[in-house]
Amino acid sequence: MTAGTDVAPVVEARELRKVFGPIAAVDGISLDFTPGRIYGLLGPNGSGKTTLIRLLVGLARPTSGTARVLGTEMPERQVLGRIGYMTQADGIYADLSVVENARFFASMYGVRDRTAIEEALDLVDLGGRHSTPVEELSGGMRRRLSLACALVHRPRLLFLDEPTVGVDPALRVVFWEHFRRLAADGATIVVSSHVMDEADRCDELLLILNGRVLARGSGAQIRETAGTHDLEGAFLRLAGRAAPAAEAPPREAPPNDREGAAS
Amino acid sequence: MNVRRVAAIARRIANGFKRDHRSLGLLFGAPVLVLLLLGWVIRGQSSPATRIAVVNEAGPLGAVIVTRIVDAARTGGLQVVDIGASVDSARAALADDRIDVALTVEPPGTPGSTGGPVIELMTPGVISTDDSLHVAAVQRALADAVAGTGAPAVVHRVLYGSPDPDVLDSFAPALIGFFGFFFVFVLTGVSFLRERVGGTLERLLATPVRRSEIVAGYSLGFGLFATLQVVVILMVAFGSLRVPAIGPLPEFSAGLGIANAGSPALAFLIVFLLAIGAVNLGILLSTFARTELQVIQFIPIVIVPQALLGGVFWSISSLPDPLQPIARVLPLTYAIDGLRNVLIRGEGLASQTLQVDLLVLLLVAVVLIVLGAATIRREVA
Repeated sequence: MTAGTDVAPVVEARELRKVFGPIAAVDGISLDFTPGRIYGLLGPNGSGKTTLIRLLVGLARPTSGTARVLGTEMPERQVLGRIGYMTQADGIYADLSVVENARFFASMYGVRDRTAIEEALDLVDLGGRHSTPVEELSGGMRRRLSLACALVHRPRLLFLDEPTVGVDPALRVVFWEHFRRLAADGATIVVSSHVMDEADRCDELLLILNGRVLARGSGAQIRETAGTHDLEGAFLRLAGRAAPAAEAPPREAPPNDREGAAS
Repeated sequence: MNVRRVAAIARRIANGFKRDHRSLGLLFGAPVLVLLLLGWVIRGQSSPATRIAVVNEAGPLGAVIVTRIVDAARTGGLQVVDIGASVDSARAALADDRIDVALTVEPPGTPGSTGGPVIELMTPGVISTDDSLHVAAVQRALADAVAGTGAPAVVHRVLYGSPDPDVLDSFAPALIGFFGFFFVFVLTGVSFLRERVGGTLERLLATPVRRSEIVAGYSLGFGLFATLQVVVILMVAFGSLRVPAIGPLPEFSAGLGIANAGSPALAFLIVFLLAIGAVNLGILLSTFARTELQVIQFIPIVIVPQALLGGVFWSISSLPDPLQPIARVLPLTYAIDGLRNVLIRGEGLASQTLQVDLLVLLLVAVVLIVLGAATIRREVA
């Protein structure tokens, strides 16, 4: 929580837990996100980032605890119209064209305004490829289209699950410029990543391990706490400190990453 | 329910088809091809003259009978082959495929005798359908042999359908129902599996869309294609457009021109209800598949029993007793029965059996819609 602000939080979670069989994918996470900032969920594969996002989006029901998003307790269908969600998989239709995909998701969000669709496509630089079938797009272009489909309804809150995986460094810079611009317009952005070097672009980081928040703060704050020069080292050091205290045995990744809990 | 969202989902299915020429071919080309091929095989079946040999084992009395049989066979269009006068040579001729049926006149006292001599027919027994064709031909000839001797003649008439028996007439309604179910099931199953595996369903569920809208959109989208498919099949099956000779092509008839007694609109309604059921069965079963191949693996479980028990080949009442109740819970059974009622008997909505057929199909569709919709949320719970 950013102390001293009286702005209502966009996302508010209290002791969120999600248990899959013997594994707690999310193990008591509380957080508050305020508008206009970029939050980074940082952690290795299987640490619970995707499950946390799915709880916040309302795609999964928490085992215990509560998540309030835009003032409404999740899961709630109506709120989804104001949330954008870019999944880890591209989640676009390979047998449709670029513009057909954008229009399809716009219809799902109840957007009739064609300019919003154009705007989203222009933003990811696909404005000139309207009728190209997705099958013929490169991986980076698909990623961009996937982002555009999460933006067609101009959401106030944007969840991006590993948005830059498989994206080349030049495009990564472009993506982050978009994110910064959207945040400047007042949108709240939650980005998950396991790439430490892009984490420094976030306003605030949450280091996540074994379904718990290990540390939070800006990149500089976290490095300082851990007494290291880079985030990677900070992560390892903080994880090393946390593990014996929590007596948490090293967890195995769930057998099926797609359907399973955490990734 | 938001109509725009339903329409958008249906449109996205149609747009997907637009680029997927192979699926379009499967949906429209395959049934037409099968139907035409079947029509050709059944109608153009050549029945070559039955070749027989007659052997006498019953002395002078037998010789009289042999003469009469040979005369009747010749006038009946059968080919009488001279293979010598022993049973062994007749067997050898059968084995070498020089004759189709060996007739042996056995003396009275042979098992099966009713006091007079016995005519024994022997066939190769390799392809039973061929055997029955040949035996039937021989029996017709033998009946002609006794005609005019005071024995009663038998004439066959039919209550429904064409007086000239055409297997295709009873096959066509069954095939229309079968295709309506089969292709829609496979295409929906694969399509929805892609939604689940490709992450688009996850994404879709992160929008304010309702489950009912997804199910309705899918039913509408695939229902539309199923409907178009039925139109094409009905036209091929019942149409009889004469195409005149053009250049080197001889004159031919587009469509099989199968006799059709009932309302195409009712046939349509039956197949539409069946297709809605198939769409939702596809959605339901795509939950239990991980790959497209696994959707195909449902065919022997879901499709083949319906083809065997649903009345495509054999009527329900001719099935073994334990199988009859099973046949009566299969949707295809009711679709085929309904289609036969409409297309062959020419029945309308007033017919009680047709009402039952429609009601059961509606019920099956509703149950499958509920079950299919239930699997959509389970994925994300």
